[in-house]
Amino acid sequence: MAECISLPHAGIALLVGASGSGKSTLLAKLVADGTLRPSEIVGSDQYRVAVADVEHIGLDENGRQQAQYARDRYRRVTDEAFAVMGEIVRARAALDRLTVIDATNLWPDDRARFVRIARDHHVPAVAIALDVPLATLLTRDAIRAYPRGKQRVRQQAEQFRRHLRSLKTENFAAVHVLSERDLNECEFVRLCNPLVHEVSAGLDFIGDVHGCMNEWIELLTRLGYAPDESGVYRHPQGRRFVSVGDVMSRGPQSLLAMRFALDHVEADAAYMIDSNHGWKIARWLDGRKVTLTHGDEKVAEELEQYERTHGRDETERLRTRLRDFLLTAPSHLVFTQNGWPQVVAVHAGIRDAYIGRNSDQIRDFCRYGDVAGMDEGGRPIRRDWFREHASPEWIVWGHDPRLEPLVVERTVNIDQGVVFGGALTAFRFPERELVSVKAHRDYAGVTESPLSSGHTERFRPPDVGRFVDGFQVDASIHRGVVKIRPEHARAALEIVSRFAAPLEEMVYVPPTMSPSPESSALPGWLEHPREAFRYYREQGVTTLVVEEKHMGSRAVLLLFADEEAGRRHVGRATLGTILTRTGRPFFARELRDQVLARLHRDLTQAGYFARHESDLVLLDAEIMPWNLKARDLIERQYLHVAAMAQLDREHRLADLRRAHGAGLAVEAWTAEAQAQLDSAQAFSKVVQAYCWNTEGIRGIQIAPFHTLALTGTTCFDRPHVWHMEQGRELAEASDLFVGTEYRIVTDEASEESAIRWWMELTADGHEGCVVKPDVFVPRGPKGGLLQPAIKVRGREYLRIIYGMDYLEPENLARLRQRSVTRKQRHALMEFALGVESVERFVRGEPLERMHECVLASLALEAEPVDPRL
Amino acid sequence: MQLSIRVTGEGADILSFLLAKNPANLYDRQEKGHRVRLFYTVCAPTEAEAVLYVTPDPIELVTGSPDSYDITHHINDRQFAISSLFCSFARQALATALSGRCQEDYRGWVNHPFDMTLSFGPVASELSDEGIADLFYPLGYEIVCERKVVSSARTERDDPTARWLTLHGTATVQRALRQLFVLIPVMDDYRHHFLDEAELERLERFGDGWLSEHPLRGFVVRRSLRFGDLIRLARERFQWLDEVSWSEPGAPWEGERSFSDGDCMRSGPRIRLNDLRHEVIAQRVAELPERTVVVDMGAGEGKLSIRLGAIPGVRRILAVEPSEAAHRRMAKRLDEATLPSGDADIAPIWGSLLYADKRLAGADVMILCEVIEHIDEERVEDAVHTVLGLYAPRALIITTPNREWNALYRMRTDLRHDDHRFEWTRDEFRMHCERWAQRHGYAVTLEGVGEVSEQFGQPTQMAVFTRGGAPRG
Repeated sequence: MAECISLPHAGIALLVGASGSGKSTLLAKLVADGTLRPSEIVGSDQYRVAVADVEHIGLDENGRQQAQYARDRYRRVTDEAFAVMGEIVRARAALDRLTVIDATNLWPDDRARFVRIARDHHVPAVAIALDVPLATLLTRDAIRAYPRGKQRVRQQAEQFRRHLRSLKTENFAAVHVLSERDLNECEFVRLCNPLVHEVSAGLDFIGDVHGCMNEWIELLTRLGYAPDESGVYRHPQGRRFVSVGDVMSRGPQSLLAMRFALDHVEADAAYMIDSNHGWKIARWLDGRKVTLTHGDEKVAEELEQYERTHGRDETERLRTRLRDFLLTAPSHLVFTQNGWPQVVAVHAGIRDAYIGRNSDQIRDFCRYGDVAGMDEGGRPIRRDWFREHASPEWIVWGHDPRLEPLVVERTVNIDQGVVFGGALTAFRFPERELVSVKAHRDYAGVTESPLSSGHTERFRPPDVGRFVDGFQVDASIHRGVVKIRPEHARAALEIVSRFAAPLEEMVYVPPTMSPSPESSALPGWLEHPREAFRYYREQGVTTLVVEEKHMGSRAVLLLFADEEAGRRHVGRATLGTILTRTGRPFFARELRDQVLARLHRDLTQAGYFARHESDLVLLDAEIMPWNLKARDLIERQYLHVAAMAQLDREHRLADLRRAHGAGLAVEAWTAEAQAQLDSAQAFSKVVQAYCWNTEGIRGIQIAPFHTLALTGTTCFDRPHVWHMEQGRELAEASDLFVGTEYRIVTDEASEESAIRWWMELTADGHEGCVVKPDVFVPRGPKGGLLQPAIKVRGREYLRIIYGMDYLEPENLARLRQRSVTRKQRHALMEFALGVESVERFVRGEPLERMHECVLASLALEAEPVDPRL
Repeated sequence: MQLSIRVTGEGADILSFLLAKNPANLYDRQEKGHRVRLFYTVCAPTEAEAVLYVTPDPIELVTGSPDSYDITHHINDRQFAISSLFCSFARQALATALSGRCQEDYRGWVNHPFDMTLSFGPVASELSDEGIADLFYPLGYEIVCERKVVSSARTERDDPTARWLTLHGTATVQRALRQLFVLIPVMDDYRHHFLDEAELERLERFGDGWLSEHPLRGFVVRRSLRFGDLIRLARERFQWLDEVSWSEPGAPWEGERSFSDGDCMRSGPRIRLNDLRHEVIAQRVAELPERTVVVDMGAGEGKLSIRLGAIPGVRRILAVEPSEAAHRRMAKRLDEATLPSGDADIAPIWGSLLYADKRLAGADVMILCEVIEHIDEERVEDAVHTVLGLYAPRALIITTPNREWNALYRMRTDLRHDDHRFEWTRDEFRMHCERWAQRHGYAVTLEGVGEVSEQFGQPTQMAVFTRGGAPRG
């Protein structure tokens, strides 16, 4: 019978056979029929030529000395040739290529070397031994160009025979021994990588089912699957579902779940991968000695029950089918599109270097994850392999139940512990949507549910060692990582340690904002909208939103629909948090509780949370009046300066007037003193313009201008007009909220009208406007991030920034030379970090992941930048 | 910033000769980019008044300063307040009057006491009106203080921070100006220049003939020289600096407040209490059976860590502190310290209770000395959870102020330190400690540190937790 020999898609195939056994002939044939590429073959002869330009060294030289010399030279050339060859084989294994080794490979030591290379790179090694009779070998040798000589051929044949039996024990994935006849009759096939499949019409990854069949069916139905006439759930668009393993154990219907998986895999409607429970059950079904614990015993009970109702033979058949199915379940699967890996399904974990490969080590890793040992309670100490995932494909995994799907660095954990009363989650690809159904009940009923420990896990305090010596953050919308130097990291850590709110409540640090790069072209003006408009026009932005800039204190509000939502999102039963831009509590506790209670009441009454189908809202806002937060600063600094300046200038003007009355020619000085007094009074007026009395929550105004996030989603894809409308909606819902006036600029006319509006606003000392592109995350013509906003502050307002006399010509001339380069660079980095941290928050990533963005922003703020910009 | 000198009576117009400034001209000069001007509102035989004002360049004033990255730095009163800036910019204009070297013909008038009115300001000083009066009244002046308040709508402020002074008395022009040049920098404690021995000479020259008799001479010298070594030099040089003269001006005056140390009570026993606390902690640590590795959380400048290093059996101390400034001071202290036992190794490490740090796990003793009250009350729970749950030391010592005892301090504030977020009564502290102990399987004993009051207990309360003392809750 003709044997069919399969060559792995990648790995090492060793030919084993004496000189003249037909190795090169076989390979030439395989190249000729297209089975192999010439570059897939490395041969010892080829490398002897490569390193020493010799095809053959005859050892039958006359004379002892010559023979000795020839042997010696032969050994040296062979050693070097094998060294180079080994390196080539290693490189090809590392790159996941197939390499066929055309050498005699007669000695176990030589073969072991290649087996080791294969193992190190997690690729299979196979051996193909050519068993040819000595007589044939000798005949062939006699007629070849450089005969090896009878003695050598005989030695080799003997060596071949001696080790043929032990070949099977040398850890090859497969050993084929072919006689001459076999060789002529057998067929060689190249296998595809069994781990690789096409994304095709789309995939729906399903988390750990653990026998919860009802939820599984419910989820598939939600996803659009329906049973065909044979009961196979199919999707109308041809999508397939992928179980990430652990379909059995712990839960109520393991047997059914396993059969369901098997039927669907056989019907090419689904995939399923290996898993820790699956492997345990597989070995148990195979009759191996295993102890069934952790809910595996329920599978055994179910099978006994099955046997009672279906009889022994039927049960045996099922047992065999399931055993084969589970034993051969792939360690993981890689799904590609146009030949590129897109998404990987794995049960417990995988390293990037393991993707698409197989070895015992990889299979173990995929089943159990990165386990560093056991803790005192006998639970595995799991290391976070997913933090190291850097290659571009997504990895979908289960195994480790967590309250919410955990998304970290393009990895997503979809085990939400349905069997513990959590939920069964699906991850849709390529849509990358999460769909889940709640457990009908807690089936496992264990006292210490992994879900509750997973929850505390999320809010575990970040490891200070990661930050203290500097760190970097990969903010996805920013080109290149944001690097934080040690001294700035420490400054930020100190601020957080001493003043900040609980870390899990610091979700977002508002980015700094720059004025336009150029000062106003108008004489007597430092800032003017025209330069901001021009900045964006030059970057190709056609629609701008000009928003009124409130003068109060920046605040970030995280409001929850109820206290339970607080527990879910920040780990504490609370109606929300209100923080300053540096993460400090905005209000003292009592006032905070009042504000939160009022906002909660108003938003709930207005049906806000229900309308947005959200249990939270994250707002970027300004809280007024200015003195609410900055009272001390205003009194100690601004009002004091105002008083000092007025006192100084009043006396000077009075004395100069008396001198003038006495006939002294001090007109110029008097005029100057009058102008300066006017400036001092203007300054005083501007400072007081932002202050008013508040009593409790009365008098407080909150102007939300960005709705950053709702449950499960950020709002960075919404245009600013949407954010403005959201502000209006909130203002309608609660008296504490005020809306923000804005204008849209698209052409010259709307530009002129916006400028007129700005002039009117700022004439009395109003702070000014913020000019934003209509999209939240703006990009320039080359794809680079643009300034998300440019501030244009009023002429009078700027007195409290640059000093009351900044408009004096010689002062203004100097101030116009200011540079905003650094400020703009910071604004971009902080913007990207802000977006990133909210995204991580929404995805429910561990605190440390969100906090690194927050800390990075605070560290950037610790860098010296002119604070007046 | 401005000063006017008005003299009346016979020879009033001599003022222009004493100042060496022609009343018919306008004096207009630049001093290092800052404008100095002088003019007369009147210069008649029985009445003369000279006005001198300085308008510093506000931009020049703030550039190159290390604080220029602080927004508040750019809006400040330095360009207005009469201070040492004024003295140095006006000195050239008033050189003749200060030195008394006017034209020969008018030398006789240098020592002529005029009926004089000095009007100057604005003054920014933390001294009260009474305090300012105490400076000038002994010199024979009557004082009128004009106050200016600009308030936000939020608060009706009645503590003016801007004042204008008018002194009336009889004095020679030279003496009056010299007195102002000494006392202006005393009122406004800001110095724009480097202080060195030249300051002593200035005091000696300008104070000649009046400062040695001034009841507040000690205060004047101290505020003028600021630094200990300069003040020591002054005590050596000026015999008139006796013990009596160190009293302070009348009204309450806020002394230097230390923010560097963990505790800041405003009276004498503060230092002793701090040391006592360290002593008691050291005693408790010495009594513990296991004490090889000690973690001093919130080590500050490292005082306690150094004290702990002297305990036999303590081999390694991790001095954990989140403040960069404290770390610098700690490094200095550790450099200078000589440890009696000499073999304990003190490792300063950057860390904080809000983060997790593997290095801190499994210590024999962990100490939170006057630390928890610096954390928001809502966060204390998590911090203690991190310590007992994650680091699980064999023993934990916590000290914190006893709020009840505050009744015995004459304090103007609720809490003992600006940065204290809360202070607990003995009952509150005991309740929290017992709950923590119960939750994490520790036994706890409580005690007090410091002077005992029957009613209020002791100023500091201390809890010692030991692992395995109680069943897990």
